[in-house]
Amino acid sequence: MPILVIEDEPKTGDYLQRGLAESGFAVRLARNGRDGLALAFEDDSEIELIVLDVMLPRMDGWQVLEALRANPATAQMPVLFLTARDEVQDRVRGLELGADDYLVKPFAFAELVARIRTLLRRGPVREDALIRVADMEIDVFRRRVRRGAVTIALTAQEFSLLQLLAQREGQVLSRSLIASHVWDMNFDSDTNVIDAAVRRLRRKIDDPFGQKLIHTRRGMGYVCEAQPAAA
Amino acid sequence: MKGRLRHSLALRIGAMFVLVVALAAAGLGTYLYRAFVAEIERRDDIQLLGKLRQVQILLGRPGAAELLHTRPEFFRDTMSGQENSLVRFVAADGAVLADINAAGERYPVPPAAGPAPQRDAIASWTTRRGDPGRVVAGSARLDSGPPGGQPGGQLSGQLSGQIKVVVARAYGERSAMFARYRVRIAAAAVVSALAAALLAALLLRRGLRPLRVVAEHAALVRPGTLAQRLAVDAAPSELRPLIDAFNAMQARLQEGYARLSGFSADLAHEFRTPVANLLGQSQVMLAQPRTAAEYEQLIASNIEELERLARMIDSMLFLARAGQDEVVLARQPRTALDELRKMADFFESMAEERGLRIVCAGEGMVLADPALLRRALANLLSNAVRHAAAGSTIALRVRQGAGLTELSVANDGAPVAAAHLAHLFERFYRADSARSDAQGSTGLGLSIVSAIMDLHGGTAAVHADGGHIRFALVFPDR
Repeated sequence: MPILVIEDEPKTGDYLQRGLAESGFAVRLARNGRDGLALAFEDDSEIELIVLDVMLPRMDGWQVLEALRANPATAQMPVLFLTARDEVQDRVRGLELGADDYLVKPFAFAELVARIRTLLRRGPVREDALIRVADMEIDVFRRRVRRGAVTIALTAQEFSLLQLLAQREGQVLSRSLIASHVWDMNFDSDTNVIDAAVRRLRRKIDDPFGQKLIHTRRGMGYVCEAQPAAA
Repeated sequence: MKGRLRHSLALRIGAMFVLVVALAAAGLGTYLYRAFVAEIERRDDIQLLGKLRQVQILLGRPGAAELLHTRPEFFRDTMSGQENSLVRFVAADGAVLADINAAGERYPVPPAAGPAPQRDAIASWTTRRGDPGRVVAGSARLDSGPPGGQPGGQLSGQLSGQIKVVVARAYGERSAMFARYRVRIAAAAVVSALAAALLAALLLRRGLRPLRVVAEHAALVRPGTLAQRLAVDAAPSELRPLIDAFNAMQARLQEGYARLSGFSADLAHEFRTPVANLLGQSQVMLAQPRTAAEYEQLIASNIEELERLARMIDSMLFLARAGQDEVVLARQPRTALDELRKMADFFESMAEERGLRIVCAGEGMVLADPALLRRALANLLSNAVRHAAAGSTIALRVRQGAGLTELSVANDGAPVAAAHLAHLFERFYRADSARSDAQGSTGLGLSIVSAIMDLHGGTAAVHADGGHIRFALVFPDR
C-alpha cells in the first residue's frame, strides 16, 4: 500500500521519496499533476495516501484534489497538502476542497512522517493502558512510571512528555510536535524549552540507569526506543 | 455633458453663478420696469385729472356756454393741450353737448364722480388700434351768461346748471416706450449673465489654482520624493484640511516605505550570517575526505542554521502580514492567570536549569486571540529566562484596569541602558550585540510581540528600573 508523492521540484521529490521509504513506507513519485492523477486512478496502484504539492506545472494541486474528490474510487483517499504559501484563504480553500492536512514549507521531516502516520491511523501510537519500553513500564491511567523495580516520580508535565515519546516508540518527534502535543503551543517557540524539558526527564528516566531510552536525533528531534542507535 | 457637469467643480460653480446673476438681473429689471410703469401711469392719471379740472374751471367762466357751442375745440386746445385728448360734454338729460373726438374713438363713459374726482374714478379703455386709454368723468357748473357777465341768450335755458365733463386719453406712444424698455431690460439681463459667465470662468480658474497645485504635486509623488510636503501657509483655508490630510498621508507613506525598505535591508543582512555559515562549513568539509561522523556533524549543524533561517522567514512573514492587517484575530475571553500559568509551566524546566523561579499572580479576564497571546507571552518569557540573573525570580502578573487588562513579565538581570529601551521593539534590534548569536534568537521576538499588540488594539511597553526590567502588554477589554 504505497504513498503517492506528487511533487515537481526535483530535490524535494527525491528527498521525500527517500525519506519516506526509509521511514518504512512504500513510495511512488510523480513529477507533475497529470501523471500523479493517472497513478492514483490506476486500479492496481493501491495508493493509500497522497502527499500533494500545491504549485505544480500544467495541473496544479487544487485541480488534482478536485479531480480526486470527483472520482468515487479516490474520493476518500487521504491527501496531505504541501505548500510554501500559508495565507489563511489558501488553508481554507484546501480544507474546503477536502484536503485532510496541510503542511507549510519548510517543515521538519519528522513532522511530515508524524502527520502521515496520523492520517493513516496506523501509527505505532500505542493506546495501551500499560506501555512497556525495555524495562520501563508506564501505567497510563494511574500515571505511574517504573524502571525495573524502581518507581520514578514525575511531574504532570514530565509524564505527558514521556507518554508522548513512549506511545510513539521508535518515531523521531520534532520539537514543534512535542510543544504542540504536550503544551498546546502551536507556533515555532523557543526550542531550548523542549530541550530543557527533555533533559530534565532524562535525569529521572535515564541517568540513574545503564540503558538509555530517550535519544536525541540531532537536527530532527527526540526518539524513545530501547536500542540505542548511533546518535 | 451631464457627466462633465457632475464632475467638473468649475463648471458646476460657474453654472450656478451665471444662474444667480441672470436671476438677479431679471428680477431687478422686472422690479424696475414695474415701478417705472406704475410711476408713468400715476403721472398720466394725475395729468388726466388736471385736464378735467382745467375744463371744469373754464366751464365756470362767463361765456363758457357760448364758447362751448361755437368753438368746443377751445376747451381741448387750452389745456396744456394734447391733440389726442378727447373731451365730451353731456347735459343733465344725457344729451351730448359737444364731443371732441377726431379719430372717432369709442370709449365708455363712467358716471360723473362729483366736482373733484380722484384716481380711483378713472376707468380704462382700449382704442381701435389696441392702445390703452384712460377716461374720467366729472361734474361742472356751466356758466351760461355771455362773456362780460350779462345773462345769456337762447342757449342759456338749454345749458344752464350741471353738466358732465368726460375727459379721455389714449396712450399709444406710452405702450411703445414700455415695449422698448422691456427689450432693454431683457438685453441687460442677458449681457450681465454672459459677463458673469466670463467672469466666473476667469475667477474660478484663478480660485481653483491651489487645487491644481495639489494635483500637480500629487502627480509628482514618487518613492524618492516622499519627503516633500505641500506648503500649508499659502493655501486658502478651505484647502487646508485637504492639504493637511494629503501631507499626513505622505508622511505615513514615507514612514511605511522607509520601514519596508529598511525591512528588506535588515532581512538581507540577517540572512547573510546563517547562509555564510552553511556555505562556508559545507565547502570546508567537502575540501578533504572526512569520516562519516564528521559529515553527520556537518549536516546537523547545517540543520541548525536552516532551522534558524526557517524561523526567521516565519517571523518575517508574520510581521509582514500583521503590518498589512492580514492576520485574522479570533478573540476570546480568557482567564489571564490560567494563560500565565500555562506559560510558566512551559518554561519551567528551562527556568529550573538556570536556577530561576517563575511566579504568577493577579486576576482578571483578557480578551485576546489565544494563539497570538501565547506567542507574545512565550517571546517575552523566552527573553526573560535568557536574561534573568541566575537564582532570581521571574514575575508574571495580571492587573485589571479601567477597560483594560495588563499582563506583565518582569525579571532582574543586567541593567539595560535607557538608550536601548526605546528601540527594544524594533526588528533585529539587540541591546547586546553578543546576544545575536544566542541560539534560537532571531532578533524578531519583541517586534512580533509589538505587532501582536497592535493587532489587538493594545500596547506593548517596557519599563526598567536598574536591573529590574518589566514588559507590559495592555489589552483593551473590548
